[in-house]
Amino acid sequence: MNQKDDFVSSDTQSSFYSRVLLGFLFNLRLIWKNIKNKKRSTIIIIIGLVFSMSILFTSSIWTNTSQKIIADDYIETLDYEMYISTFLINAMDEVYEFVFNDPLVKQADWIFPTVALFNYEDKGPFYRWYPEENQENITNPLSLSSAFVVSSRSIDRIKLNLEIEGNATLNSGEILVSYTQARQLERVYNETISPGYVLNVAITRKIPNTDEGEHTMQYYDIEETRYENYTISGIYNYVGHNSIIERLVGGGSEGAGGIILDSILFPAEDMTGVDLFVMDSNGILPRLLIKTNAQLLREGGITQMPDNLLALKERIEIRFFHSFCYILSQEIQTMADEYRRSFSATSLFLPTIASAIFLTVLSTQITIKRRREEIAFLRSRGASSGQIIGLFFGEFILLSSVALALSIGFGILLAAFIPSFGHDGFFSTTLFLRYFQYLEISPYEIEIFAVLVLGIYLGVTLINVISLVRKDIQESFLITRKGQQIVSLSLKLAAFALTIAGFIFLYLDYLALARQSYTFDFNLISASSKTLYVFIGVIFFGCYFASLGLNYLLKNIEGVFKLIFRRRSFFIFRNIKRASKNLSDLTFFLVLMVCLLSSFIMIRSTTINNLESEDAYRKGSDIRIQSVLPVNISEYEEKISSIHGIEKAIGFYSIVASIGFQDIEVFGVNPTDYLEVGRWIEESFPETDTVNALTNLGANQTGIILSKYIAERLGFHVGRSMFVTDFRGGPFYMRFNVTAVIKSAPGLGIAHGDDPKMNRITNEWVLVNKELITGLGVENGTLFLADVGDDVDIDVVANQIRAISPLLIVNPEKINPDYIGYFITGYIPPITAMLLIGAIFVNIIAIVYVTISTEFILEQRRREYAVLMALGGRQSNIRGQLIYEILVFILATIIVGIPLGVITTLMGISFLKPLLMSQEVVNLTLHIDVVALLIMIVTLLIAAVLGIIRPIRKQMKYDIVHELRAIV
Amino acid sequence: MSEKVISADKLTKTFVSKAEELTVLNGSSFDIYRGDIVCLLGISGSGKTTTLNLIAGLDTPSSGRILYSGSNIGEWTLNKLYDFRLQEIGFIFQEFYLLEHLTALENVMVPMILVEITEDEAQERALELLTQVGLRRKAMNHPEELSSGERQRVCIARAIANHPSILIADEPTGTLDSKTGDEIMNLLLGIAQQRQMTVIYTTHDPYVTKLANRIFLMQNGLVVENGQSSLDNLVFDETNFKYKFKGGKT
Repeated sequence: MNQKDDFVSSDTQSSFYSRVLLGFLFNLRLIWKNIKNKKRSTIIIIIGLVFSMSILFTSSIWTNTSQKIIADDYIETLDYEMYISTFLINAMDEVYEFVFNDPLVKQADWIFPTVALFNYEDKGPFYRWYPEENQENITNPLSLSSAFVVSSRSIDRIKLNLEIEGNATLNSGEILVSYTQARQLERVYNETISPGYVLNVAITRKIPNTDEGEHTMQYYDIEETRYENYTISGIYNYVGHNSIIERLVGGGSEGAGGIILDSILFPAEDMTGVDLFVMDSNGILPRLLIKTNAQLLREGGITQMPDNLLALKERIEIRFFHSFCYILSQEIQTMADEYRRSFSATSLFLPTIASAIFLTVLSTQITIKRRREEIAFLRSRGASSGQIIGLFFGEFILLSSVALALSIGFGILLAAFIPSFGHDGFFSTTLFLRYFQYLEISPYEIEIFAVLVLGIYLGVTLINVISLVRKDIQESFLITRKGQQIVSLSLKLAAFALTIAGFIFLYLDYLALARQSYTFDFNLISASSKTLYVFIGVIFFGCYFASLGLNYLLKNIEGVFKLIFRRRSFFIFRNIKRASKNLSDLTFFLVLMVCLLSSFIMIRSTTINNLESEDAYRKGSDIRIQSVLPVNISEYEEKISSIHGIEKAIGFYSIVASIGFQDIEVFGVNPTDYLEVGRWIEESFPETDTVNALTNLGANQTGIILSKYIAERLGFHVGRSMFVTDFRGGPFYMRFNVTAVIKSAPGLGIAHGDDPKMNRITNEWVLVNKELITGLGVENGTLFLADVGDDVDIDVVANQIRAISPLLIVNPEKINPDYIGYFITGYIPPITAMLLIGAIFVNIIAIVYVTISTEFILEQRRREYAVLMALGGRQSNIRGQLIYEILVFILATIIVGIPLGVITTLMGISFLKPLLMSQEVVNLTLHIDVVALLIMIVTLLIAAVLGIIRPIRKQMKYDIVHELRAIV
Repeated sequence: MSEKVISADKLTKTFVSKAEELTVLNGSSFDIYRGDIVCLLGISGSGKTTTLNLIAGLDTPSSGRILYSGSNIGEWTLNKLYDFRLQEIGFIFQEFYLLEHLTALENVMVPMILVEITEDEAQERALELLTQVGLRRKAMNHPEELSSGERQRVCIARAIANHPSILIADEPTGTLDSKTGDEIMNLLLGIAQQRQMTVIYTTHDPYVTKLANRIFLMQNGLVVENGQSSLDNLVFDETNFKYKFKGGKT
């Protein structure tokens, strides 16, 4: 190649590149001009995209961030997550070292359970102090108490379960005393015991071991260490639930023993190595309390926490075969389950998100239709289809980029903003900023959601633009408009049929799973969510076909229009009947919105109503009384019954036993009294009615009422005899006759399964006659139910019961205030709030759509109004007709949408139970909150009318002559 | 002498846009009497349609006034103006302006419904009117199913539905072929004569003026009348692209 060729070649090449560059810049300028000149359309589309994507991003960021905060905060509320014990005392130091070096362990504290003695000073070495009720000098007795020797720093964790009067400190020379022990000391010393009181205390290094025949013990036996002039820093009461301390030493309101309620806490640092060695030698086994590192525990997500904790337990138990690790697995599992439920429940927000995306699609369609003339102009100027599509694609890229950036920003802000309102409903800057500290954005989810929304937007844009620029192609495929309609309808029907088939399949799958499940476990939650996803499709299609029917009906009821609107019906009916420029597009979207709106409201009211019913049922009767310490049941029944206004009070005798390998709580009641006092419901007994079941139990002294789970699992049925074994502190077995199968009972909750709202110590209970339990020597209990007369003020009666003993908790607002579900709602709104937010969003989406769509249609009709006004039509009349026309659509869609909402709700609640509640104690039945529904509907109506007034007024302001001229 | 129905007094109309100010009427004055058949003649943009719009109360003059039976339209309330358009004016548009979603019958019913006649009565009268314009058999057809001539017949029927005293037609034959145009004009003027209506129509076609008894020439924003109705009095100055009356008065 010579020099000349080379020159030509490079010149050609450079001109090619510069042509491409210039072309690109030209198109870019054109796109920018288009966007600038279509500010309104641009804003509508960006708002639609940002709205859709923001909601999706918010839900993603929110749940990802929330789970970290929930996990950290929940772990912080737990005293410890594990305790370790071993029967090889000498190995405990090695265990400590091993555990201390495990990265998951944040803190390990010693605890020595022993006994403390007070008022020992004048007792001789041969003074018989044990058993307590039979000690030598009952007029000047030793005061005996359980004692827990713990490290000073551990009090910072243990105190989370305590309500302390005074200081929550355990420095050298200080002790913490329980409320019960303080009262005992008052009797012994005959002085008021309060924080700051100074006394002597003896910590025993040996305690009686009844297994070795030590049923009595002299003072010299205990090998005590005496500590003089110790100050009571605080007096505590145990108020915790779900704690390691409770599991280790007992003491919850429904826990066994209540040791911690009658005890003291002593600083381990004040004991010498010799003391500890002697204690070890005497078989007082030390335990290790383990606090984990929350950040590491939640690695892999909140649902991974139980497994991570279990792994730690396994690591220790495998390394030290002689060790036993107790973990709060049930509590952490419950938290994981509740979180999963709350998280899954956010899927109820999906219809709202789908509606937001749908709104974007419709707005895009409207915007492109508005630009039909522009496309025609471009074509008339010689632009190829590719160039026109390219221009729209360029606009898409620019708008999408802006919308994406804005959506991520809004998503982050909203995700932090919504939970910042917390429980009290007021904005908290601290909560808001804390969210940013924990901020967790999943790029994968953001990408998926962005592709979903922008993909739909791009698809709709391209389909619409192509259909406008390539009509020739479209028409060659579709012979006639009618044919096109038939094909379109057939495709929709086919898609509907497929969706219905999918829904039926998933629904049956859910039902089969539900039949096999006794609780709402993860599998059922998952099945419920999947069914919901397809059900959303069914709703969309259902509303679509309902709207087709509604439009057909509206176009064929001229008589009704004449009856209602009289002379105005001429224009209103004909506008509704017209084939083009009509508002019938509103029908589908509005039917869908009203259906979703009413479903949200009804599912919400159904859930709230059910929660209230369940709470009342769990409470059991007019008055529920829980004693912090077990009290004599017959004595308290009498005391409570003697209060004026109380008709009857019953106490529950209970003992832990076993059926097969399962621990159960055996409740003993008087069946006739329980029938009278308890708030029984129809579904308490699945196979018989309550009166029969309880009468049969009363008539059969060895009768037993079992859960359906036990009966089915072990093949027991009514009339069959069975054994209950291993009564704790009682006989090894007792024979019973099954008299009924029970699902749940008032005051006791569900018979089978973990009911975290009840905070029971077992997952299973049975009901027997009380005589069988009292026959085992059980006289004390912690639970009472009382029935009051019709005209009695319950609060007054409750106060009188409280006056009997400060240990009594009467009508607690929450039976288990530490129920994890209450905790999670501080971070993820409860399902009822979510449904309300969904309803509000749907309302907003509906109003936005009505406004956009109406404005578009009215714009198309502008010239018609000019003609009408030229012919002498009055503005007020035309305005009125328009408002009536739109109202017809809104009202008609409300009339159709609400029944559809009822059907949706009825179908929805049949498979959404696992998302709506943790246990179905009371059957979920439809409850319509008419007031809330009316408020929402009226709000929609008013807002829609207010929304359309502006475009209508705008239409009326156009100059007639100008509009008529524009026709030419 | 007949009663004066419309009286225009020094009418001006200026259209203001971002680019320019365009004065279409510049102090026009004229009187129209009951029973007159007035033709406004002028080239495109001479102000014919603007004058009709002002007479019909669809537009307001920049200055000057229009009196209807001695009453200044500009001083009327909106409602009175609506009633005037509805009951006193019948307007026939060059582009028909039929409502596409209504049938021919319903289009004719529109003014009657607006005047609050019952639908049944309006339908009966509309059918009579369509019969009168020769379109009864196409009463149920939509505008898109009608020819241009038929559409204009529907417009005529619609215009006379409320028995207006003034019939205004803006280039009623503008979009029609000459044969159909003649038919339409004959129909329009026949009905007007029968109903003793005042007719004001515009055209830029000098041959359509032959049916008028008065010709107003729109020129330089002014309305000029020489008192003769014959087409023979008009000449078209091709050099200046203007109509003028014989005798030099432009």
